[in-house]
Amino acid sequence: MLQILFNGLLNGAVIALPAIAFTMLFGILKFPNFSIGAFITVGAYAAMVANTYFGWQLWLSAIFAMLITALLIWLSDQLVFKPLRSATSITLLVVSIAVAFIVESIIRLIFGGDIQGLDLELTRPIRFGGFRFTIDQLWIIGIVMLVMLLVSIILKYTQLGKAMRATSDNFDLAEVRGINTSHVIAATWLMGGLLLGLSGLLIGIDLVIEPQIGWFLTIPVFAAAILGGIGSPYGAMIGSVLVGLAEELTGAFLAPSYKVAVGFVIIAILLMFRPQGLFGLPEIKK
Amino acid sequence: MPETILITKKLFSGYYGGDIVKDIELSVSSNEIVTVIGPNGAGKSTLIKTIAGLVPTREGNILFEDQRIDHLRASEIARLGIAYVPQEANVFRTLTVSENLEMGAWTLPEKKEQHAKQVYQLFPDLKERKNDRVGNLSGGQRQMVALGMALMVDPKILLLDEPSAGLSPKLVSEMFDIIKSVNQNGVSVLMVEQNAVQALKMSDRAYVLASGKIKLDGPASELLQNVEVRELYLGVSS
Repeated sequence: MLQILFNGLLNGAVIALPAIAFTMLFGILKFPNFSIGAFITVGAYAAMVANTYFGWQLWLSAIFAMLITALLIWLSDQLVFKPLRSATSITLLVVSIAVAFIVESIIRLIFGGDIQGLDLELTRPIRFGGFRFTIDQLWIIGIVMLVMLLVSIILKYTQLGKAMRATSDNFDLAEVRGINTSHVIAATWLMGGLLLGLSGLLIGIDLVIEPQIGWFLTIPVFAAAILGGIGSPYGAMIGSVLVGLAEELTGAFLAPSYKVAVGFVIIAILLMFRPQGLFGLPEIKK
Repeated sequence: MPETILITKKLFSGYYGGDIVKDIELSVSSNEIVTVIGPNGAGKSTLIKTIAGLVPTREGNILFEDQRIDHLRASEIARLGIAYVPQEANVFRTLTVSENLEMGAWTLPEKKEQHAKQVYQLFPDLKERKNDRVGNLSGGQRQMVALGMALMVDPKILLLDEPSAGLSPKLVSEMFDIIKSVNQNGVSVLMVEQNAVQALKMSDRAYVLASGKIKLDGPASELLQNVEVRELYLGVSS
């Protein structure tokens, strides 16, 4: 049981940062951005380039991956999404899928489709009876918790964070209160990019790097964001842990190939019974 | 002679389909309360949203203190001292009361504390609930937060869209009293209101809007006595 809980926490940690990025972007731009998976992949490859091609240490590779991903996702906004700001959310959703395919294809073109990895020291798992874990996995959980704390502090206590929450809550009202929402949108893309870049590196540590690693995470990330209450970064943090645990717990009873379905089932149940998620407020009906 | 601070000249505006506001000539002087009344769908809210910068101007000008503002973003208009309070969705529901007031003070952060004190004096209920999420407050309290936010920046003019909407009769009177007292402190008010009789009683001047055009205008006391206005828009038979 301890092993299942630990694995669930690790799963949750892996999807937590993308879920926060997804929910922050959704909160402000009001469309489900399917390209976030592709930008996780960008982060993983950027980290791999820094770590294996340049020979940089992991912490430096992490910074490189975060900056590259932030820059590219911001560029995707400038080139693709910004000119479509007044388009419907369905249009933007479809466009985001196209962006995902384009980004993934470019990665495939540059790096090929083979499985690759970071230059990591091989470490033996630590065992306590039947419970086993690696130091790398502890690092992943620790770093994600630290980043979640940092994001919470930014959102709760800084002017930028409060402006992000206000803009996410009520875009027009934020604008008429004098908040420059264009700056807030840009900051949200950049912050989302930093989170996705870091998560790319962390996934590269935990798993392998290949052009579809981000795509495979899209459904669990969506499920975590919806479970927490879409648009709520705090909810996304808790939603991620719950989805991670649900995936692991069902894995104890079902074949691993059904793990992917867990995210879909969570989304379906929520849409039927609590569409606002655990921490979202219901819409006011007039 | 009071100085005119807000003027619209031959103003046309609307959404995608076409013009909702047509050829509007309107003015508000300093320290004045001006009300726009009219039936549902007359274009009252669109007019006030256009002035606030949320609906694009198609033709004509809007001048505030002799400066054209019809090409500015809503956030830039807000920085000039024009505080708009929407009828609906007028608070940040997921933020606390104090965070809402802080967002209200976005363009004047150095006076945040001082103005928050004044707002809490005006609305003591809010002080008790300042750490509560606004989404959990009653409709009346949310309306107080909405007006409180607008007052956080020492506005020169308040643009109020149906400030009494959804309030109990007692709260409507309180809300109008507060608007009057804010006005007496030197803030001009341009208000769109369904509760026309009460709104006209406290206003200096008024405009009657129908099908996007101004049908009548003049001193509020005269419009209150106007037979046509009384029968068509105030629901009062002569």
